[in-house]
Amino acid sequence: MARLLDIGLDRVRNLIMDMAILARDSVNAALESYETGTMLRAQIFEYSEKLRVLQLEVADFTTELIARYQPVARDLRFIQSCMDIAYGFSRFGRYAYDIADVLETIGPIPDCDKSRVVDMAKTVKDMITLSVDSLKKLDKDTSKKLYMMDDSVDALYRSYLRLVLAPSKASYSYSEVRCFVSALLILRYLERISDHACYISDCVHYIVTADSSPRR
Amino acid sequence: MEELIREQEQEIGKPLEGIDKYKVVIRNINGWFGTKQALKNINLNVKEKTVAAFIGPSGCGKTTLIRCLNRMHEMTPGARIEGEVLVDGQDIYDRSMDPVIVKRRVGMVFQKPNPFPTMSIFDNVAAGLKLNGIKDKKLISEVVEEGLRGAALWDEVKNELEKPGMSLSGGQQQRLCIARALALQPEVLLMDEPTSALDPIASSKIEELVRVLKEHVTIIIVTHNMQQAARISDSTAFMYLGEMIEYGPTNQIFKNPEKELTERYISGIFG
Repeated sequence: MARLLDIGLDRVRNLIMDMAILARDSVNAALESYETGTMLRAQIFEYSEKLRVLQLEVADFTTELIARYQPVARDLRFIQSCMDIAYGFSRFGRYAYDIADVLETIGPIPDCDKSRVVDMAKTVKDMITLSVDSLKKLDKDTSKKLYMMDDSVDALYRSYLRLVLAPSKASYSYSEVRCFVSALLILRYLERISDHACYISDCVHYIVTADSSPRR
Repeated sequence: MEELIREQEQEIGKPLEGIDKYKVVIRNINGWFGTKQALKNINLNVKEKTVAAFIGPSGCGKTTLIRCLNRMHEMTPGARIEGEVLVDGQDIYDRSMDPVIVKRRVGMVFQKPNPFPTMSIFDNVAAGLKLNGIKDKKLISEVVEEGLRGAALWDEVKNELEKPGMSLSGGQQQRLCIARALALQPEVLLMDEPTSALDPIASSKIEELVRVLKEHVTIIIVTHNMQQAARISDSTAFMYLGEMIEYGPTNQIFKNPEKELTERYISGIFG
């Protein structure tokens, strides 16, 4: 016979998986917008708002589960981690919206070199997929791989920042400024998304082992 | 399940180091009712002025174990134990130990409040003193007040000490029993499901009391209420089928138990 708590935990799991799909879709849409020049701010805003509402729903429901069932051990760690994971996914939505907002503010940038952002975007999308998979499978070992990917994302961001600030580029044209500013901001948002992907896998590590991730 | 128990059993029963740090040391305790073994090689240490909780499903041996800690188990016909229970390093089962003195040093509060039905509130608390030959009325009055204060009952009964103990509410009766135990100034207080017959308000008063009492007394409590164990104890022991499956800091037992069997029990997967 299933425990009453299990019914609640299943509901939390489903809410988190709904958030995972929305979070991934929102980041994908924002990056597609950058690559193709299609303006998707309204749609991404909608995703972001849905994620925010779902995060509140997870917070309310997990609090209710604690009050009703006073869970312990792995159940408690799962609930506690789901609150953090829900926050992480809501941040994915927010950063995706920030990317869309930057693109709309700056306007069309078809002639910019987008290769660096596209490269980092590929890594970050892989990180999102890995973090969601680690959550589905409760795989505690994904966090190590994600932290290595996060290091490469950080390095890419810093190298681009140095490139933009290099003395040889002291005077930029207007179109170059728009390219650099948009790329730099988007790289920064991607770098933050990468961090949150790592935090999600940290949560999975905590659920499984009760220990913080070694990196933390 | 049995294989799991065997596996976990091997890690329990390791030699105890630094026993002088502990108020109560239970060493290799085995207990029987007739031919039925109720306790199997229990080892456990309780630090002074802490609260230890025993949890586990019905029939796992919690009450039997706690009754071994002040020699009450042997009062049951056909019951016997082997092993040692040290209080401050002295084996309470040593031939030289007087069982009456053991019971004075290690007090007990039971599941159902059991005030002496024909006695007043005052006499209930004073009973143990009188039985121990103390006749000084002033001293007895002081100790009764101290006991009732210690049990957080004084303010509620100070003007009606001559009323029958049975006239009190269930929660007050249980605190009266605690006062009765405290009057003998025990070093260790055993509590066998002390709140199971009480309503939530009375239960929370007992829990608050336990937190205060542990400043002076070492407390060992048997409880079926895991949340209660989590709230009030410093260490928790999980027992199953007469065996000590896991014993450790309460925080660790409820957040990250080492044994799968413990996790399954506290998570409500069996029991």
